[in-house]
Amino acid sequence: MKISPSTSWRLKDTLYRLALGKCKKCGNIKFPYQKICEVCGSLDVEKIFSKGTGSLVDYTILYQARDGFEKQSPMIVGLVRLDEGVDIVAPITDAEPSKLKEGVRVEAVFRRMRNDSYNGLIQYGIKFRVVLDAGNN
Amino acid sequence: MVSIVGCGLTKLDRYYELSEKDLVSEAYKQLITKIKEYDQPDIVIVSSGYIDVLGKNILSSYKISSGLGLQNTKVMRIENGDNGGASIFTAYSFIKSGVAKKVLLIGIEKFSDYPSKYVNEYLSYNLDNDYTYHVGITPHAYSALLMKKYMKKYNVDYEYFTKWPIKMHQNASENPLAYLKFKVDKNTVVNSQIVSDPLRIFDVGARADGASVVLVTADEVAKRYFDSPVKIDGIVGNIGAMNLSDPSLPSVAKARNELGDLPKRDVVYEIHDSYSIMAALEIEELKLAERGKGLDVVDSLDINLSGGLKARGYIGGGTAIYQLGEVFLHLTNQFKGKSANAEKGIILSNDDLGNTSYLAVLSR
Repeated sequence: MKISPSTSWRLKDTLYRLALGKCKKCGNIKFPYQKICEVCGSLDVEKIFSKGTGSLVDYTILYQARDGFEKQSPMIVGLVRLDEGVDIVAPITDAEPSKLKEGVRVEAVFRRMRNDSYNGLIQYGIKFRVVLDAGNN
Repeated sequence: MVSIVGCGLTKLDRYYELSEKDLVSEAYKQLITKIKEYDQPDIVIVSSGYIDVLGKNILSSYKISSGLGLQNTKVMRIENGDNGGASIFTAYSFIKSGVAKKVLLIGIEKFSDYPSKYVNEYLSYNLDNDYTYHVGITPHAYSALLMKKYMKKYNVDYEYFTKWPIKMHQNASENPLAYLKFKVDKNTVVNSQIVSDPLRIFDVGARADGASVVLVTADEVAKRYFDSPVKIDGIVGNIGAMNLSDPSLPSVAKARNELGDLPKRDVVYEIHDSYSIMAALEIEELKLAERGKGLDVVDSLDINLSGGLKARGYIGGGTAIYQLGEVFLHLTNQFKGKSANAEKGIILSNDDLGNTSYLAVLSR
C-alpha cells in the first residue's frame, strides 16, 4: 500500500490548500505549516492559507522519476516564491520549459499526484502553472 | 581519550550475491584478523540509512550482530539519513562518558538490489513528508536548483563543476577499494547524462553496496588491540536547513564554528560529496576556500583521496563509518590508494542535502 487514506486526510490543509504557519512573535512564515516556529521557537503560530500565487524563482527538469511518478517524467520542478514571502519547491505543470523564465507569475492548481494501483487510491495535491494573463496583473 | 584501533572495509561494488549481513561479515573478518586481541565489544552501533526500506530489515542491529557471532553485547541502529556522523558521535560519547570501553561501529548500505526509480523513492524519504515527498520530487531536483543558484550568484558555468568528478575519478583510479576505478576527462563529464538540469550523472555520488567496521576504544585499552591507535580528538555537530535561496549550508558552518579555523596542511579530509555542488559548498563552509571558489582548491588540498562518494562510491548511512576507516588507514600508513602524509584527519559527515552535519577530528 503506497497511499495511506489517513495520511492524506491528515495532510489535507498542506497538500490541498498550502497551509502556512505564521509566527505571531517573530513574523516568520513557514511552509509546510508547523505548530512551533522554526526560527524563534514560539508556540504562538497561526495557521494561514496561501493565496496560491507567486513567482517562479528558478526551475529544473528532473529526468529520474520515482516509483509511481513515471508518467510525469520528465518533471519540471520549480522554486516558487509565494506572495506570502515563502520559497517552496514544487512541481510545475502545463508548461513548456522554453516559456519558463525567472520571475514569471505562477498559480497553484489541484492535480492528481499518483495512484495506488493495488487499492485504487488516488493521491491529490498542489502543483503550479504559469498564469496565462500574467501581463495584465 | 577515545581511540580507533582497527577497521575492515569491503570494496564498494554491486554485490548481487551478498546480503547486508554477508558484507558486514566480510568487513568484520578483516578487522578481527588485523587486531592483536579479539574480544566482544560492549556496544554495537549499526549505521545505515535505508536498511529497513531497502533490505526489509527491522531490528537489523540484532540480526547483524548475531551474524557476527556476538553473544554478549548491546546493540542499536542509528538512522540519521546519510549522516553516519551521528553514529560516530554516539560511539565517542559512550566511551568518553565511561559507559563503554569498546564500541564496534558498523556502516552498511546496499543500493543495488532495486532499480533507480525505487531507490529514488526511498531516498526521497529524506525530504519533508508533509508536502515535498508526496508530490514526486527527489533530492536530485533540490541539488540542481542549488547548483543553478550557485552558478548565478558566482557567475560560474557548468565547466567549473567538472573539476570535482575529474579529481575524484583520478583519486579513485588509485584506490583498490573504489567502485568506479577509472579516470574521466572534461569532455566525458560535460556530455554525460542529465539527471536534473544542470545536474549530470557525474555530479552525483555513485550508489554502491559496501560495509565498514571500525573498532573504537578507550585509550587505556587501545594498545591491547593495536600498537599505534589513532585518536578521535573530538566530534561536533549541528543542524540548519540547507539554504536554496542563497546557496549555503548553515549546519556545516555552525559545526565548523565550534572547531574554529581548520588546517590546510598535514591533514587529510573526507567530505560528503553527495553532489558536486555539495562538495563546493562544504569546502567553502569549512573555510578552506573563498565563496564561489570551493572547487578551485581541489588540487591543493588532500581531500577525498579515496575518490569520494562520486567515484569511491556512496553507501548512504554507512558512508561516515567507511570514511572513518579510510582516515584511520591514512593516519596509520595503511591506505592502499593515493596516500596523505598527514598528522590529522577531518571527516565531514552530513545528509545528502546538508541539513545536519558532524565534523570529526582524528590525529595520529
